[in-house]
Amino acid sequence: MIKTIITFVSIVITAYAGEPISPIPLEVNIDIEKAKLGEELFSDPILSKDNSTACLSCHDLYNGGDDSNIVSIGFAGKNGNIQSPTVLNAKYNFKQFWNGRANNLIEQADGPFNNPVEHNMNALLIEARLNASDKYKNKFFKVYKTSQIKYGQVLAAIVEFENALTTPNSKFDKFLRAETKLTKDEKEGYILFKQYGCITCHNGINIGGNSFQKMGTFMEYDSKNDYPDRSKITNNPSHKNVFKVPTLRNINLTAPYFHDASATTLNDAIETMAKYNLGVELENEEIDKIVSFLKTLDGKSPKILDKK
Amino acid sequence: MKLRSLIFLVFGVGIISSIAIVYFYILQRDFTKHHREFLLSLNSLKNTHTNLDHQILQSSIYAYHNQDEISATASKVVEDYKRLIKSNILENKTYAQTKADLILFKEYIDIDLRNLDEYFMLNAGIKNSLIFLSRLVENALVLQEKDKDLFIEATKILNHFNDAKRMQDIDYINKNNFLLKSDSKNTKTKKFIANFNLHSKYLINKYPSFIHIAYSVINDGLENYLEKVGEEFSLTALDDFKALDIFASILFSVFISSLFFIVILFIKYLKENKKLKEITSSLEHSLIYDHLTDLHNRKAFEKQLQKLDKPHLLLINIDGFKYINDVYGNDVGNIILKELSLFIKSEVDAINSACIYRLDGDEFGILFNDIKNFEAVAIAHTLENKISNHTFTANDLTLNLAVSIASNSVAPILENTDLTLKFLKKDNTQRVLEYNDNLNLKTDIEENMKILEHIKNAIKEDRIVPFFQPIINLKTSKIEKYEALVRLKLDDNTYLTPFKFLDIAKKSSYYRFITKTMIEKTLMMAKEYPQYRFSINISMIDIQDHKLTKMLFKILTANPEAANRLDIELLESENLRNLVVVQDFIKRLQTFGSEILIDDFGTGYSNFTYFSDLDIDIVKIDGSIVREIGINKRKLHMLKSIHKFSDGMNMKNIAEFVETKEVAILLREIGVEYAQGYYFSQPIERPLESDEVII
Repeated sequence: MIKTIITFVSIVITAYAGEPISPIPLEVNIDIEKAKLGEELFSDPILSKDNSTACLSCHDLYNGGDDSNIVSIGFAGKNGNIQSPTVLNAKYNFKQFWNGRANNLIEQADGPFNNPVEHNMNALLIEARLNASDKYKNKFFKVYKTSQIKYGQVLAAIVEFENALTTPNSKFDKFLRAETKLTKDEKEGYILFKQYGCITCHNGINIGGNSFQKMGTFMEYDSKNDYPDRSKITNNPSHKNVFKVPTLRNINLTAPYFHDASATTLNDAIETMAKYNLGVELENEEIDKIVSFLKTLDGKSPKILDKK
Repeated sequence: MKLRSLIFLVFGVGIISSIAIVYFYILQRDFTKHHREFLLSLNSLKNTHTNLDHQILQSSIYAYHNQDEISATASKVVEDYKRLIKSNILENKTYAQTKADLILFKEYIDIDLRNLDEYFMLNAGIKNSLIFLSRLVENALVLQEKDKDLFIEATKILNHFNDAKRMQDIDYINKNNFLLKSDSKNTKTKKFIANFNLHSKYLINKYPSFIHIAYSVINDGLENYLEKVGEEFSLTALDDFKALDIFASILFSVFISSLFFIVILFIKYLKENKKLKEITSSLEHSLIYDHLTDLHNRKAFEKQLQKLDKPHLLLINIDGFKYINDVYGNDVGNIILKELSLFIKSEVDAINSACIYRLDGDEFGILFNDIKNFEAVAIAHTLENKISNHTFTANDLTLNLAVSIASNSVAPILENTDLTLKFLKKDNTQRVLEYNDNLNLKTDIEENMKILEHIKNAIKEDRIVPFFQPIINLKTSKIEKYEALVRLKLDDNTYLTPFKFLDIAKKSSYYRFITKTMIEKTLMMAKEYPQYRFSINISMIDIQDHKLTKMLFKILTANPEAANRLDIELLESENLRNLVVVQDFIKRLQTFGSEILIDDFGTGYSNFTYFSDLDIDIVKIDGSIVREIGINKRKLHMLKSIHKFSDGMNMKNIAEFVETKEVAILLREIGVEYAQGYYFSQPIERPLESDEVII
């Protein structure tokens, strides 16, 4: 029985996945009340020790879901150690953080709160702050029907909000759904994207975000840095510069690129990736075409952010 | 065992087994649930992992592939594992081994998933490089024309790489010969060689670890491990299931045994109930039925009587039934009663409103409602007639019965009928009698009750007094004796004669007291009048009253100076049962100096027998003879004969009821010694002072 179902599901998936990229669903199923509470928490600096930093500080929802700094700036103006990844469509990533140390969004959300250079808080402090606020007590009561706010409820609300942060209806999604056609450059760019093997890692709904890969498979990439890469998790030296493959959705809006923000433009990023990870040198013309394709991945702003 | 403790036992067993059943149910339910949940989780994990392997294989086939599925499945493997390790059943110590195995399994999963990450990293690069090399060789048009050898070499190396990937066999790769070399100065050729070798080196480098990791990912042995854990778990669970089975069997037997107890209780209850019902109905029956004849009894009669608006009662009594009992014994008597009751029943049952009762030993009642008097009397006559003509048999004995039947419809029913029957019993001329007020039976009773009341009050107020009638010596014309006669003084100072009250008194307890009073008061009088003798009346029956004679002698002993002048007039009686007692009595009296008189001789039961056995001093000739001697020659002759006989026996005579001078003179001429009567004096309150009498 189970085998039959598995076979059936695989057939359906294979049939639908004529392309190795799938579109973002148009509707997300969320508890809107909870998500709205999450949005408020996401934007409120009350959740940082010095009331300076909100989640929103480094994840600008209106500009690609990340920030344009090389590394994020958090508590007391301290610098983080890595470029902030976008929060948009984060729910489709198989793991969270650059090195994938969080298995899901709940685990992820817990991270920055406890990070001394980000929010510099802890569960008890956050509970105390929120329980002291009548506004939050009322709102939490509406959602959870409990009078005492718990840290777990805070995380769950934020995650519910993050689950709503999807950017459907990009031009490319419409193309996948056969609702529109790509321009000649965009189409050729997509073919090059597949032919050169970018697709091997950047595939799936998030065009990335579903596997780990080493930055620099053909030649060593900046081995002297001390970024929190996969080797910090696995303690395997060969995992130096191994990161979660980042999503390419809204890539046009999330410069600078790479964990070290070393590429300021898409052209730079593509050239670097081709050199280090594909072992090829691309013509400028080819790079332009791939850029054209990548720009079709800009999606619509999440519905929950619509101003009413 | 007592019923009560049996009930408690069953109740207790019931409660305990109920608790045990509930406990067993929960235990069994939880265990089965947890067991099932564990196996489901285990299977889910196995399936997910199989699914993961399947997807890995799928991805290795395609040059590029959507990896979302695989990463989702890999996450699901972790989730499934978490659910499995949290299974409730693993809390149980019995499954500690399974739990330990599964904790160990986590490491295998971690390794497997890291291998998976590793595999994808390598797979991506290798796939890309192979595609790159394919396209590089395919596009190297320059080489085809100018350096064919190099082209062929490149194609060969590429084929080997492809084969190595397909076969997953490192032996296809020759590390030394898989790099291109050329002396060509052509920049395009140089670039081709540089690009080719870059990727070829990469592949040569990565292939060994790729093939190794691919093998590890696919042949991780996790399924087998889980299979073994599952088998081991099932084996352990089998023991638990066996324990549950045993528990269930015990429960079942407890349940059956308590059911058995309940059935016993129920049967016992039914039996007792049946017994109780029988007893109740027999009690109810005996309450209103006569046990001998099975007719309704007196109680039923009284009940029924109250219900009827126009009751009419026939009261049937067997004449001389006491005689039957005495002569033939009670057994025969009882049989006769039964026979008679059956006979009456068969005769009367046809009459609608009639109901038959046994009211007393030999008394039967037939109660009618709304029947005319003459009809009832007619029925009574018919019944009486049939009974007297019927021959009853009891133990080979044949008997004819005579019955008296009283009929009455005047309230109070039973009393009136009873009185009628009593009247009827005294009358030998008729057998059936209808009650009527003229029978005056009731007034008799009322009168009797009144007299009894008088007696009671008289005793209380000392109004029992002796009157004295003088007895005259006919030769000397002087009073020699006085006969004491009892009188009851009423409130109005009139006196009741013994004729009015003595019979009633005799049947009461007052009689002895009256006798005592008479003796005492007469003795007092005798002390006052020492010139006279006194006599009192004692009946033959009185003599047989031991207490009475004892009292008499006690008084006499206490008054010796008067006792020798107190004579006893013996009153004749129907039958003198014990002559010896009378003889003793007389002898003892004579020691005090008393004389013995025989009263009322010549009438009733008085007869000559007395004289042969008893030592009599004086014979009193009855008034019925004395009164008529002047006009009736026969009576005169009788008197002369009695006197002559008395004289011969050395006894003197007293003639009673002397009412005329002629009779008195005649008596003196005959030679009768004493006389008394109205001619001389009525009974008076006190003896006369003078003893002189004129005849």
